[in-house]
Amino acid sequence: MQTEDTNQQEQALQALLEDYPVPEATEAFYDQALARATHEGARRQRNRWVMTGFGSAVAAGIALWFIGGFFMTTPDLPVAEPGIPGITMTLEEPRTINLVFASATALDSANLTVTLPDGIELAGFPGQREITWQTSLNEGKNLLPLELIAVSPVGGEVLARLEHNDRNRTFRLRIEVT
Amino acid sequence: MSSKHYKDDRKLAFERMVRPHLDRLYRLAWRLAGRKAEAEDLFQELLIKAYGKLDDLARLDEPGSWLARVMYNLFIDERRRFARRRLHTVEEGEMNGEGLADMPGNEDPLRDNERREQILALDAALSQLSDEHRVVVLLHDTEGYKLQEIHELTGVPVGTIKSRLHRARARLRDILTQSGTFP
Repeated sequence: MQTEDTNQQEQALQALLEDYPVPEATEAFYDQALARATHEGARRQRNRWVMTGFGSAVAAGIALWFIGGFFMTTPDLPVAEPGIPGITMTLEEPRTINLVFASATALDSANLTVTLPDGIELAGFPGQREITWQTSLNEGKNLLPLELIAVSPVGGEVLARLEHNDRNRTFRLRIEVT
Repeated sequence: MSSKHYKDDRKLAFERMVRPHLDRLYRLAWRLAGRKAEAEDLFQELLIKAYGKLDDLARLDEPGSWLARVMYNLFIDERRRFARRRLHTVEEGEMNGEGLADMPGNEDPLRDNERREQILALDAALSQLSDEHRVVVLLHDTEGYKLQEIHELTGVPVGTIKSRLHRARARLRDILTQSGTFP
């Protein structure tokens, strides 16, 4: 009897899976994707050649310690403008920035939003100005490595905003590009 | 030949090579990523990478298989990167019926509604599977890939794929039974 039930469920599952839809893309979407691919693909190839010319494409890693006791302090504290840390990046050279968040307790479902200025990209997210993750924080120090690439010499400010329930804190990093 | 003509020729050659495979690759991106934004990013990243490998692509007898493997590897790399960070995209694991709006119906509204509910339940059940199980069951049972094709795509031994498929189906049956979708 149990086998019969299982067989019926198996058949029903197969029928459901066969019907499980996937949206179709439009020709316009394909055209746009192909155009982006040829543009971006050519740009990356150029960059690879430039990097090879300099002999090394190894990212330099630095740690910026934002140990402010994020959730130990009063929420919504204004960020002190004069204290904004800064780094200098080389155009087209990836650089890993380690953000460190300290939390008094373990936290589930915190939202982290990284906002990038024009000309600074997060590796793996080409062209995106704002990237949001949902994450959990351990008690103590939590490290977030961000691999940044300067694609134009403009520079600007990278914002990392951490939110949990109604509390939030924004960290700023000033970037200059040479 | 001028530089501009050279670039134009490469673009045309690239389009000629990949366009016949775009529908299949787009479907694969959806099956792997499970959500529109991630699927489109994956699809786009594949095309960018493929353009950089145009000369290699031109030498292949089956560029479609190669493109699918590259897409799968991009998907795995991205997942590993996030796993290492212990960070997840907001959308991960929350399919919630996105992409189901255009689900075709038949001519019986009651039957349509019932089927829609079942598909939504399946969608929710799939989001509870691990990536390894979800991808195998979708590729095999939904997209019709053969076990050997999944092996060639993922590099996972056929025996392991069979085992994952079996476990994934059993888990889906359990979830759908618990949710009342199956009696």
